[in-house]
Amino acid sequence: MSEAFDVIIGLEVHVELKTASKLFCCCSTAFGAPPNSQTCPVCLGLPGVLPVPNSEAIRLAVRSALALNCQVRPFSKFDRKQYFYPDLPKAYQISQYDQPLAEFGWVTIHPSGEEAKRVGIRRIHLEEDAGKLNHLGQRLGDAVGSLVDLNRAGVPLIEIVSEPDMRSAEEARLYLTELRAVLSYLDVSDLRMEEGSLRCDANVSLRPHGYQGSLEELPRVEIKNVNSIRNVQRGIEYEVVRQADMLKRGERIVRETRGFDDSTGRTYSQRSKEEAHDYRYFPEPDLPPLRLSPEWIEAQRTALPLLPDAIRRDLRSRGIPDKDVEVLVLDREAYEYWKDAAQAFSDDRLIVNWMLSDVSRLIHLRGETFATATVRPAQLVELLKLIQEGTLSGRMAKDVLEAMFETGQDAQALVKQKGLSQITDEEALMQVVNQVLETHRHVVADYLSGKEKALAYLVGQVMKLTRGQAKPDLVNRLIKEAISGSQAVSS
Amino acid sequence: MSNRLWTEEAVRLHEMFVAGKVSCEEIVQDHLEHLAAVDPGIGAFLHVAADQALAQAKEADRWSTEERQMRPLSGVPIAVKDNIVTQRMPTTAASRMLEKFYAPYNATVVEKLYAAGGILMGKTNLDEFAMGSSTEHSAFHPTRNPWQRDRVPGGSSGGSAAAVAAGMVPIALGSDTGGSIRQPAAYCGIVGMKPTYGRVSRYGLIAFASSLDQIGPMARTVRDAALLYHVIEGPDARDATSLPLTASPPTRSGPWRIGVPREYFQEGIDPRVGDVIDRYLRRLSDAGHEIRDLSLPHTRYAVATYYLIAPAEASSNLARYDGVRYGFRCDARDLVSLYERTRDEGFGPEVKRRILLGTHALSSGYYDAYYLTAQKVRTLIRQDFDAAFNAVDFVVAPTTPDVAFRFGERDDDPLKMYLGDIYTVTANLAGLPAISLPAGWVDGLPVGVQWMARPLFDNALLDAAQAAEALMPPFQFPQEVRE
Amino acid sequence: MGLTDHEIQHVARLARLRLTADELPVIRRDLNRVLEYVSQLQTLDLANVEPTMHVVKSETPLRHDQVEPSLPVLEATRNAAQVEEGMFKVPRIMDSEGGGAGE
Repeated sequence: MSEAFDVIIGLEVHVELKTASKLFCCCSTAFGAPPNSQTCPVCLGLPGVLPVPNSEAIRLAVRSALALNCQVRPFSKFDRKQYFYPDLPKAYQISQYDQPLAEFGWVTIHPSGEEAKRVGIRRIHLEEDAGKLNHLGQRLGDAVGSLVDLNRAGVPLIEIVSEPDMRSAEEARLYLTELRAVLSYLDVSDLRMEEGSLRCDANVSLRPHGYQGSLEELPRVEIKNVNSIRNVQRGIEYEVVRQADMLKRGERIVRETRGFDDSTGRTYSQRSKEEAHDYRYFPEPDLPPLRLSPEWIEAQRTALPLLPDAIRRDLRSRGIPDKDVEVLVLDREAYEYWKDAAQAFSDDRLIVNWMLSDVSRLIHLRGETFATATVRPAQLVELLKLIQEGTLSGRMAKDVLEAMFETGQDAQALVKQKGLSQITDEEALMQVVNQVLETHRHVVADYLSGKEKALAYLVGQVMKLTRGQAKPDLVNRLIKEAISGSQAVSS
Repeated sequence: MSNRLWTEEAVRLHEMFVAGKVSCEEIVQDHLEHLAAVDPGIGAFLHVAADQALAQAKEADRWSTEERQMRPLSGVPIAVKDNIVTQRMPTTAASRMLEKFYAPYNATVVEKLYAAGGILMGKTNLDEFAMGSSTEHSAFHPTRNPWQRDRVPGGSSGGSAAAVAAGMVPIALGSDTGGSIRQPAAYCGIVGMKPTYGRVSRYGLIAFASSLDQIGPMARTVRDAALLYHVIEGPDARDATSLPLTASPPTRSGPWRIGVPREYFQEGIDPRVGDVIDRYLRRLSDAGHEIRDLSLPHTRYAVATYYLIAPAEASSNLARYDGVRYGFRCDARDLVSLYERTRDEGFGPEVKRRILLGTHALSSGYYDAYYLTAQKVRTLIRQDFDAAFNAVDFVVAPTTPDVAFRFGERDDDPLKMYLGDIYTVTANLAGLPAISLPAGWVDGLPVGVQWMARPLFDNALLDAAQAAEALMPPFQFPQEVRE
Repeated sequence: MGLTDHEIQHVARLARLRLTADELPVIRRDLNRVLEYVSQLQTLDLANVEPTMHVVKSETPLRHDQVEPSLPVLEATRNAAQVEEGMFKVPRIMDSEGGGAGE
């Protein structure tokens, strides 16, 4: 950007952890239950109740922190963050303020055409989610009232706060995509933005060239609760233009919170930070500090799975093209599919080619994913083996794959059932070749006069008559032999 | 004897019930009759659960001797302070805010009482949300001191103290945040104990100041207090601050080294109370115990420390009363008005005063100067006690600087009321166990003496208190309730 | 330097308490008396003193991630003044009253 400023972006990402029960009580966290059917005295904030932390939430949070290269604190504490809102039953959220669970991590992003870049993670802390408000009316502003559902209140969250290290909407997109990929390999969250299990707020400010002050002092706009990575990117893009226009006009940018309107692609003002809450944080007296032994933390580190960067290195070393590597790495289900297939089949690239073209097309068509695909990796491998040994042509294999998706049957069975297998019997094929040469004498003449393309046409005709069951290279050879044979006779 | 059952100790009632000398129904009936006769003039109860108590009694009467024996509170009527949550009775915290609240769960201590066979007679009065030292700040009605009806019973567990002193129940639960068990026990001439912080589960105790609150027993004798304490103590998976079971530290049978902090006899003490305590200490000395003068130098900061920490935590704990999910609600056209009107009308003036004070102490720009500073001074107060307990086994001091005051006497100046807590708040700030015992009289009003021990030494404290109790004349009921 | 009426109103707003003009002078007097009294703590040298956040216990216990039955919806909403479709009803929320949900 040749503008007179830099774009400064920091992201706050909330991730709901995949525990069976809530952070401080034993209610289920399952999504989609009838309103308030997953509540108890504790998460309703009834008088007299007390929180007890869920060990699994701690484990998942620590696992996330370690995978994001953070230092996990052996001592952290819980604090109350206080504000009144109907989705917050106790009027305080149990969170972590000045001694969070983990700090000083990073995510590596790979902007295209540029060097890889580290985006710092300032902190990761644990907190409880709020409930859900259903507004009676079009929007909050003109609603006549709201209905409060507390099923989600108390679901464990981690908040991942980045450093303001991103310089474009594209970098923000890459950071989020990478973050989501890392978390997906950890099995810590469902990561569904549409269900709210992954949420993102973006802080955007513009730093004029020559600005000497600290980033903290720049007027910062927070875009809240955007529901997809794409929209985070759009919201930031809009915000950069909006703020740039304001600067050019000499206007002052105010520190505020803005929403993002999906239909217009614009951000709109929600409230200015001038009237920001005074959260009155103080240490949660109901919870003594959280202490984690270094041995336990190390054990969690040891238990980490292979993470995106390591997977990238592995895939590249197998000769898979970078573009395909990215697709696999960023979609954990695709990668797991590939991995299962690769265990039983030696041609890594062939698997990738099939997965990312035909398999991918079919699962999307059928509303499946790689995890739920009708055709399992072992079945795909069986199909690929039939190609490799010459039983099926590539074209036939495509048809077989479609039939596999439709019927759920194995490739072998379908080939047998439909009588599909390549004609490898030269004598049988020779009859067809002769027939074709007979009916297309002028094409043969063209070929003999030096038109190489004519040969392809003849091969195509044979393939057509054999309904694709012939092996193209065999047909090619037979035609050449037949033509040169007949020439020898006639001359 | 059966028509004077209400005069008996809990321990005795249990023994008689186990031995089959008396039925539980007779015990409960006798207490209910006595209660009906005397409580109208005292106002100890907010709710009397007569039917439930009788039903429980009838069930208990079907138990075998072994079953009775297994349950340490079988045959024993009990009252519960109304800031402890009960599923089958209302729980109001003496606040209009919770006037119609029914809890869908029982406090852990209530579950323990039921499991131990105790008969729950009802819920006792208190200062609204336990904020006060007189039970005058109940939203419903004040409780009168059974010894002199124009005087307060103390607070905030004034209902439980008056009920026990007047013989309506032999034992009762109170809660103590800055002296709310010990001060009314002293004013009513009974025994009241605040256990080590974490010894008794707080699950189901309506929070006032979470880091200071503790439930404890009130009784007419130490052994009754100990009986109740041993039923309610112990770890609770629902309370992260509750302490794991640890082996009880060995108790020395005495003689003990008893430390008397000189700061507890300085400014503000009624000299007549000081004299009673001096005579009490002389008895201890005559009994062979060693009395040592000692200093707890940060005592003078205790009230200031307490009146920052407790309101700060209270302001947070009481934020949930917003009229949305339960409790009083004042309808309004928008959310902020709903919150403000509900809280304005639902809370009494003392509660509001403390919420404002606490909110200020935590607000941006003041946290360090107020809340954090107070938590640091708390460390100094704790260290004072650590040092003291290196030299002595127990610290003994007056429970209060005065005797029960008249209604309205401290209404005009909250600070004056707060200063009355000076001798009791230290045990809460330091987390240590403390018990108030009857020590004598001033003009027909009881004076209490407080024994404090190091944290976790609750059993040792009870043992010592029982030995000390033997040096004093036994409990006598106030003339007016003797019929 | 006690609190001014303006400051007290700010605190009241934070606490969602509404103070009437009659209440204000009394509240101001009471609060300022207490604040003056507690200011004696400022005379102590606390530079090297750690705060006591938890008096006896120094480590939180954790519980197993086990689901237990929740309350029936009717029981969970039984004490509420207004319930609709199994949910707690609140009146209209002004724009300025933004929540901090999950902040």
